[in-house]
Amino acid sequence: MVKVLGWLAVVGIAAGLTMGFAVAPREVTQGNVQRIMYLHVPAVWVAYLAFIVGFVASVVYLARRRDTADRLAHAACEVGTVFLGVNIATGAIWGKPTWGTWWTWDARLTSVAVVFVMFLAYLLLRQAVEDPERGARYAAVLGIVAALNIPLVHFSVYWWRTLHQPPSLLKPGTSAMPPSILAALLINFAALALLGAYFIARRARVLAAEAEALA
Amino acid sequence: MPDNWSFVAAAYGLAAIVFLGYWRRLGTKEREITALRADRGSHQPSRTAHPRPEAGSRAPLQ
Repeated sequence: MVKVLGWLAVVGIAAGLTMGFAVAPREVTQGNVQRIMYLHVPAVWVAYLAFIVGFVASVVYLARRRDTADRLAHAACEVGTVFLGVNIATGAIWGKPTWGTWWTWDARLTSVAVVFVMFLAYLLLRQAVEDPERGARYAAVLGIVAALNIPLVHFSVYWWRTLHQPPSLLKPGTSAMPPSILAALLINFAALALLGAYFIARRARVLAAEAEALA
Repeated sequence: MPDNWSFVAAAYGLAAIVFLGYWRRLGTKEREITALRADRGSHQPSRTAHPRPEAGSRAPLQ
């Protein structure tokens, strides 16, 4: 199952790159640097999904104390942090030629940086507490609190005046995006979602094997 | 606006490094666990290699 997910992700990434570089047209205003968006935007969506999985698994762990839920939360939050890191880095690379700066402390960038640091703290907490049961409990609470900030990140572009543009897709009403660009974005999202699911499944399996080996 | 292909290459290159790095890290962890299991398996106390003598058959220390 995990292997199948991995191969599906490889096929998806090949399709996504084809869509992003060969099918989608050169954007009129930004030029080809806009092609970074086919990576930057799906990466944050996958990070959001992973954190939501981590949130639900953390709630389940606190309610039922199931080790599988704890391992799923750990795997999902770790993979989400990887994708969020890619999102922040690619956003900075896109920002330099487009905005003229790598980074600015506007509401969207600051809130996403806060969430990133919270999930880094989550991973550090996992390493820092020696008692696995207590570590899992603390991490579950932090995972829930950190995931609750995701709406703040998403709506920050509406609630404050920011340099970052409002969302083009995850908003009420229809999108003004041309169909070829929309298709490239959605196929890249599917590809990265498959990659994220593969990483989470594999990481959860590693965590289970680790727990079994150390028991 | 200029195309800035170098920025596009940097973004995709960085993402490839991060994802491949994470994929390799998972592989390394899997190999470590397999090695740990194999190591533990080979160091399990054997019942036949060093049999403990029955208490009554032990010779008292001289």
